[in-house]
Amino acid sequence: MPKLTIDNQSVEVPDGTNVLEAAKRLGIVIPHFCYHEALGAVGACRLCAMKFEDGPVKGIQMACMVTAQEGMVVSTLDAATVEFRAHVIEWLMMNHPHDCPVCDEGGECQLQDMTVAGGHTLRRYRGLKRTYPNQQLGPFIEHEMNRCIQCYRCARTYQDYCGGEDFGVLGTNQRVYFGRFRDGRLESPFSGNLVDVCPTGVFTDKAFRFKSRYWDLEEAPSVCPHCGLGCATIPGGRYRELQRVRAGSNRQTNGFFICDRGRFGYGHAAHAARPRVPLVDGQEVDWTQALAAARARLDKIIAAHGPRSVALLGSSRAGLEANAQLRSLARLLGTDRVVFAAHAPRDWTARTLAAGLGAQASSLDDVRRSDCLLLIGADPLAEAPLLALAVRQAVRGGARAAIIDPRPVALPCATAHLPLAPWRLGQALAALGDNDWSRFEGQEAVFLEGVHEALAGARHPIVIGGADLLGPAGMRQLLELARRLSREDRPCGAMGVLSGPNSYGAALLAGDGPDFEELSNAMITGEVRALICLESDPLTQAADPAHAGLALARLDLLVALDSLPTKTLGHAQIILPTTVTAEGAGCFVNNEGRMQTFMRVLAPGLPLRETGGGGHPPRLFMADTPGAAPRPAWEILAGLQGRAASLAELRDALAREDVRFAGLTALAAESEGQRVADAGLALPATRVEDYVPRDGELALLVCEALFGSEETAFYSAPLDPVRPEPRLILHERDAGRLGVTPGEQVRLHSAVEEVVLPVEIRADSAPGVAILPRVRGSLVEAFVPGVGPQPCRINREVDHA
Amino acid sequence: MSGYPRVLFKNRRPGETLFLDDYLAAGGYAGLRKALKTMTPAEVTATVKAAGLRGRGGAGFVTGLKWSFFPADQPGEKYLVCNGDEMEPGTYKDRQLLLADPHQLIEGMLIAAYALQAPVGYIFLRYAYEDCARNVERALGEARRAGFLGTNILGSGFSCELHLHRSAGRYILGEETALLNGLEGRRPNPRSKPPFPAQKGLFGKPTTVNNVETLANVPHIIVHGADWYQGLALTEKGAGTKLFGLSGHLNHTPCVELPLGVPLGEIISDHGGGVWQGRNFKACLPGGASTPFLTRAHWDLPMDFDTLAAAHSRLGTACVTVFDEGTCMVAATLNLNRFFQRESCGWCTPCRDGLAMVSWLLEKIESGRGTPDDIPMLQDQLRNISGRSFCALAEGAMGPVEALLRLFMDEVEDHVKKGRCPFN
Amino acid sequence: MSQILPQEQIDAWKERVTGHAHPMELVVDVLRAIQAHHGWVPDAGVELAAEILGTTPLRVEEIATFYDKIYRRPVGRRVIHVCDSICCWSRGAEEVVGFLRERLGIGFGETSADGCFTLLPSCCLGACGEAPAMMIGLTTHGNLTPARILAILAAESGEAAP
Ligand SMILES: Cc1cc2nc3c(=O)[nH]c(=O)nc-3n(C[C@H](O)[C@H](O)[C@H](O)COP(=O)(O)O)c2cc1C
Ligand code: SF4
Ligand code: FES
Repeated sequence: MPKLTIDNQSVEVPDGTNVLEAAKRLGIVIPHFCYHEALGAVGACRLCAMKFEDGPVKGIQMACMVTAQEGMVVSTLDAATVEFRAHVIEWLMMNHPHDCPVCDEGGECQLQDMTVAGGHTLRRYRGLKRTYPNQQLGPFIEHEMNRCIQCYRCARTYQDYCGGEDFGVLGTNQRVYFGRFRDGRLESPFSGNLVDVCPTGVFTDKAFRFKSRYWDLEEAPSVCPHCGLGCATIPGGRYRELQRVRAGSNRQTNGFFICDRGRFGYGHAAHAARPRVPLVDGQEVDWTQALAAARARLDKIIAAHGPRSVALLGSSRAGLEANAQLRSLARLLGTDRVVFAAHAPRDWTARTLAAGLGAQASSLDDVRRSDCLLLIGADPLAEAPLLALAVRQAVRGGARAAIIDPRPVALPCATAHLPLAPWRLGQALAALGDNDWSRFEGQEAVFLEGVHEALAGARHPIVIGGADLLGPAGMRQLLELARRLSREDRPCGAMGVLSGPNSYGAALLAGDGPDFEELSNAMITGEVRALICLESDPLTQAADPAHAGLALARLDLLVALDSLPTKTLGHAQIILPTTVTAEGAGCFVNNEGRMQTFMRVLAPGLPLRETGGGGHPPRLFMADTPGAAPRPAWEILAGLQGRAASLAELRDALAREDVRFAGLTALAAESEGQRVADAGLALPATRVEDYVPRDGELALLVCEALFGSEETAFYSAPLDPVRPEPRLILHERDAGRLGVTPGEQVRLHSAVEEVVLPVEIRADSAPGVAILPRVRGSLVEAFVPGVGPQPCRINREVDHA
Repeated sequence: MSGYPRVLFKNRRPGETLFLDDYLAAGGYAGLRKALKTMTPAEVTATVKAAGLRGRGGAGFVTGLKWSFFPADQPGEKYLVCNGDEMEPGTYKDRQLLLADPHQLIEGMLIAAYALQAPVGYIFLRYAYEDCARNVERALGEARRAGFLGTNILGSGFSCELHLHRSAGRYILGEETALLNGLEGRRPNPRSKPPFPAQKGLFGKPTTVNNVETLANVPHIIVHGADWYQGLALTEKGAGTKLFGLSGHLNHTPCVELPLGVPLGEIISDHGGGVWQGRNFKACLPGGASTPFLTRAHWDLPMDFDTLAAAHSRLGTACVTVFDEGTCMVAATLNLNRFFQRESCGWCTPCRDGLAMVSWLLEKIESGRGTPDDIPMLQDQLRNISGRSFCALAEGAMGPVEALLRLFMDEVEDHVKKGRCPFN
Repeated sequence: MSQILPQEQIDAWKERVTGHAHPMELVVDVLRAIQAHHGWVPDAGVELAAEILGTTPLRVEEIATFYDKIYRRPVGRRVIHVCDSICCWSRGAEEVVGFLRERLGIGFGETSADGCFTLLPSCCLGACGEAPAMMIGLTTHGNLTPARILAILAAESGEAAP
């Protein structure tokens, strides 16, 4: 911990801190462009100069490149240094266009700020400015190269940090250019970060263009609702419309970046079919009527059939407070039939993780710092994209990463991959735990032994498992493996990849309660007559949507609370519109048990864009805000209990009642969040249904996809251009046996449905497994991931015809 | 010509290249034989250090000292890289060496590789030196066939492979860390130091980079000893001979080998045949485009590293470019600065944009559009570019600008006052 | 692809790359080979180099656009690089350029009407002792005078006849 003096103030900083950061700790912010905490120091822009007056380093130096050392005396105010910084800005401004009034970066432009801060006020250069052609970079990013100040952040983010290979630095001298080989969509699923890291207006958010000025946006810290990792985000809204999302920073989770699903998934808030008003039997009513009607019908059913005829279904999409209110509503109604996930296997896997993770919980930051990672049954880019970036950072730091997965898991870094059929993942986990390779042969045994050796010898090993492929039994084995690999001097971390932003929180609430399968069976038998459905869509989410459909059809009453125009709403007699994440406040518990709060960014309402029919301002005078009826689910659920409630009260009550959530009341937005206290749950009993296909039979494995299968993002228009076409992935051996060629149409016969779709042929997937990434809204929508492999049959479509 | 001893050029015949047979006949590879058979690697390094050989690539770092920092004992991959980029305007000495006597370089590299215990070496040649590249290629083939190159050289147990790399332009590749990036197939931006190449160089492994001429000296030092080498120079502290490539306004512009410490005036009048067209000497670049001008006042200055540093200049590559009395020093400086501006790799701001600003100012002044404000502005560019760039390219660019403002301020002012170039 | 690089050369490069510890080390060599054969490096040449080296076209383009002796635009059958650095400048490089422009009827970056010559400025060619100098293809010519230039152009255009 060296101690140094900067501008006559002394500061002690951790070893390895650079002087620029050290000054920041004192509140002295020296202009800089190329330095970025996540990208490191490269000394290119030369803006962060400071005078080193005494100590081991002398003279004017770039503070980002100097590691703080004991006894340094540094001045940021030294006249020559101040003059130099002003010159750097002057040089950067030589070619920068004077287009600030029409620039989309206006107001949040670091160059603007630094120009003022750097003291460059008078333009002396009168020569020509260099100009560039721009490129079409796809639906997300607008390119305006003339504004570039050559800080190299974009290329370092895209290539070095995110591992993208299709964007970089071209040319030399004053004509360096940042772009692609050719026009075309940026391939990296992290491309949107260019918008955040570029300090000027070269890369701007195309979907957000011409909508708002930065200073007119309403912004608040939030948490991304598009997977289980809980990345920090800062959504921005205006004119009753969620208009964009940028990355927030949380050093424990996402660091500084987010994925494009998280960035461009916000469109669900403005979906045209979104439920906006309370409906009872299709009639618009006000909230009082709606709540009264719901209560009256529930009471009637309870009176006739007893309290257990009412069931409640929560979800991982809803915040912790809303799910907790669902639980208290159940108690009030006197029913124990409350479930927190529509997908039973996922539910049990999450409960297993929540019950058993304990102190082994690893954050994304732990992953970034790890020196040895095992990913088993997890496909980060599809299931939890920022995990892919975390793994990449670990590998860049020298870590080894091994993947055991039937899918051709692609990560933006070097990894070793063992394509193992899904039903053998458990065996692999057992083998790794027992150090016994007898059930594996040849290369597989060698691979597993190598993985074991690497994990055993590592300083910070972490094992990461995906809920969908491991299932509850596999998740249990994963936790057991981590325990076995842990030593007194050195624990082995564990991480489970869960699907929803609050899967973990929902699982904690579920405890040893029933699951949705039990619930739907009771609906079918008529034991359950009414269902209150909280932001859940069993018709597309349940492990068996068809079965869920039968169950819903039998109900006397379905009360649905939602913000998305789900299929399930079609069965509901009473629809209670809820706010989306950015319109309410609440807490999600991420996949490592970290509680994180999100704040209200904007009030719900029909976007002005729609009410005005594109005209501006809208020439329609109304006393009320159109579309403003949606309420936070926790508020509605409290209302159904006959209470008005504030979020603070609800949290208080929950924290008092349930020690695991004790940290909830103290939780601040824009913090690193807080892990839930030890779950104190018993590991649920796991049912192992080992499916092993018969010889020559293909197993169908449905899985998630980066774009197109996550529920909330499915309703987001900005993602429309990148939705994949459905395809079936076959191993080349199986394809050869079937005689199919790449791109050929095949007919897939399965218990779910019979569909015709093209094939992709791979050498790096597991033989015997046909992999089907789910694409919502397409012909394969009915196929749900997370249900284990199923038998299937595949024919060439030409043979069929 | 002069009676000075010739070392590097002793085998040089106009228009001819010396290949293996003639090289051997002239005593070639005796140094390699001696080093491998009778000396330890550390002794080789010690001898080169004692000889006082300083780098001929421009910076003049003591070669033996550089080698002594190299982790020669560390097992694993290590590299020796020969810097034959030679793109600094005015500099053409390495080319003369390779045109005359390519085996001399190969022998020097093998001895150096032995001293450094580096099993692999690269010879990096600029695009324009295809003639040299062919010579080197042929010489490498000959050396390999004769057992000087490859495994178990001369039965010593030492093995070494040398590879030739042909570049594709750009002066920045002469900067040693940019060169390493270029060799690796990365964008040839310079790397930050530390870590120095000796710790983390080519492909992340310990690497030493030396100039062609530097390495060509090594066999002679090994054969004749450190004292002999020291004694070659005319100055007290200097050591060895130096190739001086003459250019500019001279009657003759040869590349000549002279002892370090020969006075500037002697080079100009004896070896350059005096200033051309009967004109007077005005100024010169003593050692390439990045070295501050010398003037008539420096006529008797001994040409060596320390003496030039004392005269606010640098020996650089010792390739002297002479300007006659009719030369506009603003125009000359502008030409030099435009070169550096164009060759900037674009990495850091002072170099990429600062040099463009300097060119803009010099153009203004030279074309007669300069205002009195432009002179202090030029001074503040100099003040803020010097010592502030990422690598030494911009630093070098400021050499002539600094000298212009120090030595020829009256000329600059004259441009502004007259509103035109006084030499046109 | 064959007019960019003959198949046997493509195969030979691919063989060199296989088992090479650092394939990108060869990127300049591959680009130079393509240029030697095709005259310049078209987009398809960048893509071919990427394929040979097992990388993306962008990664190759990052390198190709750095070096000034890799031509990413069409050039004539001969490229003339006229030195404009200090020694040549001091001995009449500007006149040499003027003479070439006039004779060929083109400016820098342009190609003569007969497709024979492209004129480009170059930094020092290492021919400072023979200034003024120019390089055509890979051959350096020094001590340029109008007469010498005419002779060189005549010889080169004869050799480079289509
Ligand atoms: C911009 C720049 C260009 C350089 N060009 C060359 C060059 O062409 N040849 C060379 O030997 N050294 C060149 N150098 C110096 C090298 O970085 C390095 O110091 C040298 O090759 C070391 O060899 P030496 O110690 O034998 O001189 C250059 C340095 C800079 C900053
Ligand atoms: S485009 Fe933006 S991020 Fe990239 S170098 Fe230019 S200013 Fe920096
Ligand atoms: S300056 Fe023209 S060849 Fe050197």
